Amino acid sequence: MERNSQLIKLFSRTIREILSRLPVDFERVQEIRLRVGMPLILILDNREYYLTRNGGLSTKGGDAYLVGKEDIRETMEHVSSHSLYAFEEEIKQGFLTIQGGHRIGIAGKTVLDGRGIRTITNISFLNIRLAHEILGCADKIMPFLYEHGQVLHTLLISPPRCGKTTLLRDMVRQLSDGWKDQKGVTVGVVDERSEIGACYQGEPQNHVGIRTDILDCCPKAKGMMMMIRTMSPTVIAVDEIGSREDLEAMEYVMNCGCKLVATVHGNSVEDLRQKPVLSRLVEEQMFERYIILDNHGKIGHVEGILDSGRTKLYGGC
Amino acid sequence: MWMKIMGSILVIVSSSALGVWKAEQWKEHRKVLEQIRKMLLLLRGEILYVHAPLEEAFQHVGRKSEGMLAEIFCQTAERIRKQEGELFYDLWKETVSGYRKEIPLTEKEFEEFQALGEHLGYLDLGMQERTIELYLEQLATTIDSYREQERQRTKLCTSLGIMGGLFLSIIMC
Repeated sequence: MERNSQLIKLFSRTIREILSRLPVDFERVQEIRLRVGMPLILILDNREYYLTRNGGLSTKGGDAYLVGKEDIRETMEHVSSHSLYAFEEEIKQGFLTIQGGHRIGIAGKTVLDGRGIRTITNISFLNIRLAHEILGCADKIMPFLYEHGQVLHTLLISPPRCGKTTLLRDMVRQLSDGWKDQKGVTVGVVDERSEIGACYQGEPQNHVGIRTDILDCCPKAKGMMMMIRTMSPTVIAVDEIGSREDLEAMEYVMNCGCKLVATVHGNSVEDLRQKPVLSRLVEEQMFERYIILDNHGKIGHVEGILDSGRTKLYGGC
Repeated sequence: MWMKIMGSILVIVSSSALGVWKAEQWKEHRKVLEQIRKMLLLLRGEILYVHAPLEEAFQHVGRKSEGMLAEIFCQTAERIRKQEGELFYDLWKETVSGYRKEIPLTEKEFEEFQALGEHLGYLDLGMQERTIELYLEQLATTIDSYREQERQRTKLCTSLGIMGGLFLSIIMC
């Protein structure tokens, strides 16, 4: 319930009242969506509900509470701790991460300058994605991450909202602390969106292990290079790779003796073959393990684990 | 006779002391404005160069300073941390108002100090810079005028005190 009250404080006064009457544990809540003039929506156990003014859940839009402009403005003020200016860089990217690792997605009118997006104004859409730390959620896949006592290059493939960051965080923790009779190794996490460690004033809010170093809010490509040069990690972990620079840095990491554990959006290894740069890494069998999550069962369901030659090691792939 | 002389001396001394105290008050007033200016410069640094959120910035500046202004800054940081659902301007106004009696500022200066919170935290770094700069400019003008008048005022208050005392003692005698 402590977590509930912490989360409720993020919202405008009216929405706070609604949420405080909500008879639901926030551990089960995945997202809360605010859109100007539209119903207040809550995603709970993968199902969408409207929130009514008296704090009830409804599947009919008619009695839903309609979000006002003032709700969004107040919510933005609270999520940024009255300091929107301190999140300028994050706002440019369309989201900000707050204490506890929760991610606030924002959309509105983008203002451009010569170098790209300068800021987002008239913010009218918010998606509050609640971070859930589940210790032990990687237990099932840990045996597949080692071979002859060595950690393997691993790629976690998953569509959005399937729990890949939660799984990656627990993998990092277990690699760092040591799993069963495997010794713990130094893990360098490049946490561009502060989602893995959820650092607040430099201190990780989540359990990431005793041998983990975190470069917070750092672009992945630059961060991976910095980590190698400065912290001599055995394993480097990054979330949501995708850009050409990321992939070049990953190649560098893989070729200099470090092991890489990364996540990427997708449904299967076949999907990766459609992506121009990533396909080369797949073809060259750079990754020794692929862990594929799906959104059919419950969140974090592992559809399959493959080796570098895409031979099934686990699951129904 | 001795009683009259003693009484006159007492009146002259106390009215002179009153004059000196008034002059000191004037200086004190200027010193408070200068302290606000120093703290605002620190706050500007925290915001512009460290990109510290308001909670952190107010706390750092409050800890580096002394007196009731430091208390105001620390209390503001504490109230931001508690997240009780107020907007920043309301929170700042309320905190500052709580110290109205202790802060030796004129009504106009106090209003300007309160108005500082109206645009803080809102929009981008440029907006923070402009808000603080605007207030710093107002402060600089006020401090300058206090400095200019300080010598005259001090002289005036002290002389008025002594003269007033002499005048009273002459009348009484």
